[in-house]
Amino acid sequence: MKKRTHADLSVDFLGFKCENPFMLSSSPVAATYEMCSKFLEAGGGGVVFKTIGTYIPDECSPRFDHVRKEGQPFLGFKNMEQISDHPYEENLKFLRKLKADYPTKCLIVSIMGSNEEDWTRLAKDVTEAGADIIECNFSCPQMTQENMGSDVGANLELIEKFTKATLAGTDIPVMLKMTPNIEKMEVPATAAIKAGGHAIAAINTIKSITHIDLDQMTALPVVNGKSSISGYSGAAAKPIALRFIANMKQDEYLKDIPISGIGGIETWEDCAEFISLGCTNLQFTTSIMQYGYRIVEDMISGLSIWMEEKGYKSINDFCGKALQNIVPAEDLERDFKVYPQIDYDKCVGCGRCYVSCFDGAHQAITWDPENRKVEIDEDKCVGCQLCLHVCPVANCITPGKVVFKPQDQFGKGSEAVYAEDVPCKRDIIVGQYDE
Amino acid sequence: MSENAKKDYLCEAVPAFNIATAMEEASRCLLCLDAPCSQDCPAGTNPGDFIRAIRFRNFKGAAEIIRTNNVLGGICARVCPYEVLCEKGCSRSGIDKPIQIGRLQRFATDYEKASGFQPLEKVEATKEKVAMIGSGPASLTCGAELAQKGYDVTIFEEKAIPGGVLSYGVVPARLPQYIVDEEIETIKNLGVKIECNTKIGKDKTIDALKAEGFKAFFVGAGIQAAKMLDVPGVDLDGVTNAVEYLGAAKPSNGDIDPGNKVVVIGGGDVAMDCATTARLLGAEKTMILYRRTREEAPAHKIEMSYVEELGVHFHYGFTPVEIIGENGKVTAIKGKGFRDDSIIQLECDKVVFAIGQAADESVKEIADLKFTPKNTIIADETKDCKTDIPYIFAGGDIVNGGNTVVQAVAVGKTAAESIDKYLSEEAK
Ligand SMILES: Cc1cc2nc3c(=O)[nH]c(=O)nc-3n(C[C@H](O)[C@H](O)[C@H](O)COP(=O)(O)OP(=O)(O)OC[C@H]3O[C@@H](n4cnc5c(N)ncnc54)[C@H](O)[C@@H]3O)c2cc1C
Ligand SMILES: Cc1cc2nc3c(=O)[nH]c(=O)nc-3n(C[C@H](O)[C@H](O)[C@H](O)COP(=O)(O)O)c2cc1C
Ligand code: SF4
Ligand code: SF4
Ligand code: SF4
Repeated sequence: MKKRTHADLSVDFLGFKCENPFMLSSSPVAATYEMCSKFLEAGGGGVVFKTIGTYIPDECSPRFDHVRKEGQPFLGFKNMEQISDHPYEENLKFLRKLKADYPTKCLIVSIMGSNEEDWTRLAKDVTEAGADIIECNFSCPQMTQENMGSDVGANLELIEKFTKATLAGTDIPVMLKMTPNIEKMEVPATAAIKAGGHAIAAINTIKSITHIDLDQMTALPVVNGKSSISGYSGAAAKPIALRFIANMKQDEYLKDIPISGIGGIETWEDCAEFISLGCTNLQFTTSIMQYGYRIVEDMISGLSIWMEEKGYKSINDFCGKALQNIVPAEDLERDFKVYPQIDYDKCVGCGRCYVSCFDGAHQAITWDPENRKVEIDEDKCVGCQLCLHVCPVANCITPGKVVFKPQDQFGKGSEAVYAEDVPCKRDIIVGQYDE
Repeated sequence: MSENAKKDYLCEAVPAFNIATAMEEASRCLLCLDAPCSQDCPAGTNPGDFIRAIRFRNFKGAAEIIRTNNVLGGICARVCPYEVLCEKGCSRSGIDKPIQIGRLQRFATDYEKASGFQPLEKVEATKEKVAMIGSGPASLTCGAELAQKGYDVTIFEEKAIPGGVLSYGVVPARLPQYIVDEEIETIKNLGVKIECNTKIGKDKTIDALKAEGFKAFFVGAGIQAAKMLDVPGVDLDGVTNAVEYLGAAKPSNGDIDPGNKVVVIGGGDVAMDCATTARLLGAEKTMILYRRTREEAPAHKIEMSYVEELGVHFHYGFTPVEIIGENGKVTAIKGKGFRDDSIIQLECDKVVFAIGQAADESVKEIADLKFTPKNTIIADETKDCKTDIPYIFAGGDIVNGGNTVVQAVAVGKTAAESIDKYLSEEAK
């Protein structure tokens, strides 16, 4: 049977018309012609080729670890890899063939030099090989060489020098990939743009220790008894990436600078979230390492169906739309509270809400042990909704009535309003299916 | 009585997943390379891909994958014998137990309906007129596929309601009628017309349809004649068969006299459906009389367990020899050991024969085709569904002698390809 076509996902990024914004980020998932080709065939809009340098690293083994909670693996992923370990000439050959075979796909090439001559030469060579855009890697947290990696991204002087050196070797757009191992990304990003850069890519991996091996008394992964602090990525990195991106997009100087969003992207919903904060390009690695290139099919299908349903004709229709609603904490309204509401038909009487409310909130839930019944004591409930987050039953506890705090500065009374439009939690199910 | 038995006749016995539980189940899926589940679906519904879509929260995309491969995906989700199809080779069994594929498929198609999402493209009918004879799953699928290829499709059905066995056979506890109605509505929305109360061969002939401009025909007439045993007493009042019993119960939403002490003869899925119907409609005692052992019974074991849970009594190893009556009404049935000389006599006021169906004699009135001695039509439904008349194609139960809904769907797809090829190449 034939399916209908949904919203168009094509989007302009730095002058390149990408068929969709989905790209492999620079990492082993985009390390050879064959790999990139397989992803592009699966529907990807482009790739950011694995960072090429003049230095060829010697990698350790093992080099990965992952964080799980209860049964879920890969909440976060730690790696100790450096830049491409393929010979320089071979990488250039891959690039030439990629551009020749996939002229309509966006070919972004990540580079990393150790001095200005290096950066210029790399920029020149990859441009000649067919790159559409260059990404400067200022942000790998586990480089073993000086003047390389995330130390660069935290050093304004080096950022300026290396951005300019890159621009000296090329006439195509240059994007700077930022490290999250700092407090304010606006500062290095501004320096990079002032030096002539065209766009920002964020984020690279977060410096981390995922686990300690308690027998060997070192971190994981263990390399002959030792380990290092190194980059953390995957789902756990997404909230951190989103906050850096929102900060930059809300910055007066940076707000119109294109951003390629990276960090924990797995689903079309993740993609939509990055776009709603202003990204016009999206990159991912960890999810591909876990599941493979095929997941891009569901990004394409899911995002285009959702956009059609929302009436968005293009990515730009909702790009950055959430930014206006992300405000400083002091600007939030604080004159009301939203009580949780328990659906007793769904409640299974586990008592988890009671436990969490007592031990972690305000002792506002009562427990009738005879009937295994929980009840909310509105006098004590502050509307924090911790119970809603811990309840294991879908849509059992939902936001309920809104009550204005008595005698607030606006003089509003304590009248209860049953608000239909209170933002509900994510797992709201449509229609009859809501059970 | 178990939880299940308390459920009403019209209520689905297996509870639905919600988003949270569907995600939990989808997270168990190993997202296999060359997914074995996808290879084992006769209709190519592609569970590997739609479970992945669910896993990545692309619920509508999951429905789209299902519908583009299997227009009756919501029905198959409920009636397929998964344990011998997609779930059979599931890699997860190597760890614990297979993924509940049917239930996930049901989740995705329910989500589609509940959200009003329409995955399929309606194509303008610009090509030849094609007729489907019968409105079971084979014809519905073939018609939908052809409509999307631009043909002007009409389905002719002799009964008052379309759907074939879906509407007159499968119990609502497994397949509620509203699901059948919704899926048929979707197919009508693709441009397929359905004319009920029209028996081809009797109310209208193929020649007459040819004169109206129909260029090709698909015969998906199914098998509707119930087999009976030739034992004394079969004509007594209270003796009936599965086709009549189920066919009266479902369209009337269970408004029949189910009998009070009911004996169902047979050990297949249809017998299980009869026992379920009797029990859920309030028969005080329901019994199954089957000549072989539990292990040998052709019914799917999941269905048998369900029926056992409902409190149905199974009597294995007996074959009926006489139905006893008083004043023309059945009062008991007598059985004899199938492999020994045991004797059994069960008091009852209803006897339902569920020992299989056969093609109806009247199928021969449709057209002068080649038939087997069992009145089924000779055609190769694994290849092209062609009969010996070039413009007539056939498939489903009327060709295979009785199989499954998903097989009928697979055949519908094959026939549509074949008819399209015939009309666009061979007939020109
Ligand atoms: C009680 C019962 C329960 C079943 N349960 C399951 C199950 O759980 N899972 C499963 O996979 N399979 C099940 N099956 C088998 C499955 O239903 C069939 O294999 C499937 O329906 C065959 O589809 P079909 O399109 O070939 O024919 P049918 O569904 O039999 O439809 C044929 C239609 O053609 C009509 N017709 C016949 N002759 C003419 C004519 N001359 N003119 C116009 N109309 C005509 C008939 O009235 C009928 O509506 C069950 C079968 C029965 C009887
Ligand atoms: C194994 C591995 C190797 C990586 N190598 C590079 C690299 O060479 N250059 C680079 O810019 N980023 C590199 N990264 C970072 C990723 O491109 C990406 O920025 C980061 O992993 C966050 O995205 P994710 O959560 O989708 O993985 C690497 C990440 C991983 C996991
Ligand atoms: S993933 Fe492949 S390369 Fe890596 S250790 Fe396993 S087999 Fe070797
Ligand atoms: S956590 Fe949810 S299910 Fe458990 S007792 Fe509280 S409301 Fe009921
Ligand atoms: S075979 Fe089982 S585990 Fe593998 S993809 Fe299919 S459902 Fe998932």
